[in-house]
Order: sequence, then structure tokens, then C-alpha cells
Amino acid sequence: MSLVSSLFLVFVAAVLLLYYVLPKNLRLWVVIAASLAFAGFLGFYTLLFVLVSAVLCYVGGLLSGPSKSNALRNAATIITVVINIALLCCIKYYNVLGLAAERLNLLFGASENTNTFFLYAVPVGMSFYVLQTTGYILDCRWEKIVPEKNFFKVLLFSTYFPQLMSGPMNTYANLSAEFEKAKEVKFSFERISNGAVRVAWGFFKKLVIADRAAMTVNQIFGDHQTFTGWYVPLGVVFFAIQLYCDFSGCMEVVIGVSHMLGIELPENFNCPFFSKTVKEYWRRWHITLGGWLRDYLMYPILKSEPLIKTGDWAKAKFGKKNGKKVPTYIALLILWFAVGYWHGGLWNYVIGSGILHFIYIVLGMIFEPLSKKIRPKIGADKLYFRIFQSVRTFILMLTGFVFFRSASVMDAVDMYAAIFRRGAALNWANFSSSGMNLPNLIVLIAGVLILAAVDAYKYVPSEDDRPKSMIAFLRGKGIVILWAAFMFLTVATLVFGMYGLGYDSGSFIYARI
Amino acid sequence: MTREEIYDKLNEVFQDVFDDEDITVNDSTVASDVDGWDSLEHINLIVAVERCFGIKFTMGETTGLKNVGEMVDRIIAHLS
Repeated sequence: MSLVSSLFLVFVAAVLLLYYVLPKNLRLWVVIAASLAFAGFLGFYTLLFVLVSAVLCYVGGLLSGPSKSNALRNAATIITVVINIALLCCIKYYNVLGLAAERLNLLFGASENTNTFFLYAVPVGMSFYVLQTTGYILDCRWEKIVPEKNFFKVLLFSTYFPQLMSGPMNTYANLSAEFEKAKEVKFSFERISNGAVRVAWGFFKKLVIADRAAMTVNQIFGDHQTFTGWYVPLGVVFFAIQLYCDFSGCMEVVIGVSHMLGIELPENFNCPFFSKTVKEYWRRWHITLGGWLRDYLMYPILKSEPLIKTGDWAKAKFGKKNGKKVPTYIALLILWFAVGYWHGGLWNYVIGSGILHFIYIVLGMIFEPLSKKIRPKIGADKLYFRIFQSVRTFILMLTGFVFFRSASVMDAVDMYAAIFRRGAALNWANFSSSGMNLPNLIVLIAGVLILAAVDAYKYVPSEDDRPKSMIAFLRGKGIVILWAAFMFLTVATLVFGMYGLGYDSGSFIYARI
Repeated sequence: MTREEIYDKLNEVFQDVFDDEDITVNDSTVASDVDGWDSLEHINLIVAVERCFGIKFTMGETTGLKNVGEMVDRIIAHLS
């Protein structure tokens, strides 16, 4: 079941009805039942996967808790985390394994691929789920939380349906506190309408903007023998719009639905394309993944004995100031490799979403002292420099998106080479051959302008602060304005949304991760 | 070790890690009050504090400290 489907809306309406009509002490049971039903809609193997994984998470948490001996705790943590990581690797590599199985079959004489296990048995979109449950086990081991004795609370935490497939990732401490609060939440039209506007905004972002931009993206990335020269940067810019609206649209739906249930989830985006640096971009884009990797991967690596010793050696060798950065660079390399790998098990993801960003961030750190000296001399506080910084960061992001969207590293390299090749002339007839005719282009531009205006309103200079709430702003102007916004988004999505016969609404880019 | 004595040593650690001899911290000091105290420098600070006091913070403490006051509370707890 896709998050942008009429079936999902009916499902949510039914859950909300039961949630608010039944006695309050049954509320969380309604959510558990809804979450298992949602997993069931995704497929039998997905349901089986989340159930087995929830049991693993529960047992792993209990055995990792402080009341056990250290040896048992360590063994339990290591075993359950390794199983979780192995599951993640299986999920990441199911495409690769599927391909290998197909080749193996053909090698041994089969006329066609008969091994369909990897097509049906490996649940898609469970990467968020695996990281969240791994975080729970580590939190128990590190005594950040007391292991939960009630299995159903762990089941609820690990399978909570709005965030099951795409996040945002959460900690048990945060989510369980929200579940406790939700028991006492009263039904209110304000809550429902606020959530409904966010859901409508998410549908608009996905169906009106992202899937419309996808037409041009698919055309240019699909045929860069023909679409060369200026078509390449054009295609990558369209992909940036598609990816942002696709993933952040998904988050609007998830956070909006959860808000209606009185369960607040963390924001995952904070106007990323206004970022001044690559480092800042990653604190505004997929925020909860960055937080997870920082707390559960980078900090333990940096605090490990080998890295501390490396730091001591580097300080003696290169001086205190430069030497202390060596362990940081090593940890960042591992971190960004993991980020890239998490986005997909292939090298184009490792490079485009990982290593390239590692290089940009390390270069930023190396040149930071020089940059600090130069900035006052070139008027860095002026608006033009601020715009330059955001444009520069956006262009750096685009260089990674080429790899992210391409089928392989070689495909991405060829995409770069296509910039310098002669192909189809840059004219309207060629550009619009994908279906991006004038009405579609006008709708896309209007959608992007609305998005830019909303993000400009929400933007706050410090990436540590929450973005301003557009819904609070609209509500402040009056309930009529809020409902007018809802009606506009709904009608615009119904009229201009990319759906209907032949459209695959299940294809959220990040839900496939 | 008294809280004041801990703060004397802690100020030296902060000044050394952030390369700024003017830094003085108190119970309510948070990361945004100190220039350069970001998520990367945080671990350098934690390791330096651990070495200075001969203690080992848990990962929960490493990621969960809200301000310097909480850090001092945890140092006292480890020392005792």
C-alpha cells in the first residue's frame, strides 16, 4: 500500500475512527493492529519480517539491559546487532543477489530465470526499520533506556505504521513518550485539520511536482546518447526537484497522519536547498538518518581505543591542531561509506551519496581557516555572497545526484561525458518529447514556486532550530485560510496530479531504500 | 573533588580543546555557546575530559548530555 493512494487514505480514516471512538485504553492496540495490517498489505514476507525482527529487538534489548552479566550483555548486543546488520545487507543487496541468481541460473542452462525468491521474499523499504530497531538494542546496552518488558510496546515502537517504510527514524525514548501522551489526547478538529493539510501538501509535492519532474528526468537519464550537452544539467536539476519533493512529500504524509493520532514525529527536512555548506545541507536533509549515524556509528568509532591511539600518534606527528583531525577524517570516511551504502548496495550510491560528500566536507574543513580569513575581505555578510554559497552547495549536491540517479558508476561517468557530446538540439520539440508539454511545464514551475515560497517562509538560519510552521501561520490568518489552502492543494492534486491508468503510485524513491 | 575544583580543571580542558584561553564554562553552558563545539569536536572534548579526570563516559552519557552542568554531575558520579 503506497502512502499516496486512495487506499491509504481510507485506511487512515478507518484507523482514526476506531482510535477516537473506542475507549482510550484501547488506542494503542488499535495502532498495533493497524501497523500489523499495514505490514500485511505490504506482503506476507514483510509482515513475517517485522514480526521476527520485533521479537529479536525485544529479546536483544532485554538481554542487553543492565541487570545481566557483562559477558551476556555484550554477546546479546553483538549477536542481535550483527543479525540486524546482516538483514540490512540482504535488503540492500537483494537486487545484486537477484541479478547474481539470475546469471547463475542462466549459466547452468536454464532458459530463463527461475529463481524468483529475491523478487518476492525480500521486503522492500525496511532499511529504516532495521536501523531503528538496532538503535533500540544499542540504547539498552548503553543504558540510555531501561529495556522494555512489555513485548507489545516494543512491537508498537518497531512497527508503527506511518513511519514503517520511510522513517523518520526515531528513538525508543522519544516514540514511547509520544505513545504515552497519545493515550490522553482528545479528538479535536484543529488536530485533524492541521494533519490533513500536511497530508494534502505531501500529496501535492509527490503527485504534482515530483512525478511531473520525473518525466523529463526519465527521458534524459534514460537516453544520454541523444540528450547531451545542456540537457544533462537540466535533467539533474529536475532530478533534484523530483527527489526532494518525493521524499519530503512522503514525510509530510507520514508526519501529518501521525499528528492526527496525537503522536508527534521529528522533522526530517529543514529547507536543505538553502544550505550554505555541504555540512549544513546534511543537517537539513534526511535529518534523522544523520542523527542516527552520528550517535550509533560515528561516536562509537571516534571513542574506540584504536581511533584514540591514532589521534595521539597523529598529534605527535602533525602537531596538535592538524593531528586531532586525523581520527575525525577516518570516522567521517567510514560514516559516509555507510551513508552511501545505506542508500543502495551499489557503487553509484556509495560514491554519489557517500564518498563524494565525504570529500566535499573534508575539503570544507581543511579550507575553513583560510575561508575565515578571506570572508571579511570579500563582504561575506552581503546577500550576494549568501546566494553564491547556496548555489555552490546546490551544484555540489547535483554532482552527487548524477551518480544517485544513474544505473551504475559507468552510466554516471557516461552521463558526465554526455555534457561534452553532440546530440539532440536543445529546442522545445526535443525537450517536450517526454510529455513535458507547455501545460505540464507551467504546472511544474508553479508548483516549484509555491514550494520555494513555503520553504522561504519556513527557513530559519540555524540548522539546529526547528523550521517555522506554515500551518501555524495559515491558522493564524484564520481557519478559512487554512481550509482554503487544503481545498487548493486537494483540487490541484486531483486536477494536476500524475496518477491514473498506468501510474505506479507505489514508487516513492526512498521507500525502495 | 569539589564542584569548583572540577570546574577549574574543566575550564582548562575546554580552553585546550577549543584553542581559546578566554573560555569559561558553567552549569548552563551548551554547545551553541562555545565557538567550534559541533558534533565532531564533541568527541574530542569528551575524550579530553575522560583523560583529565581518569573516567570513562558511557555512550549514553556521551550522546545525552544536555549542558556542562550535567557533564559535571556525571564526572562527580564517576569519581565517587
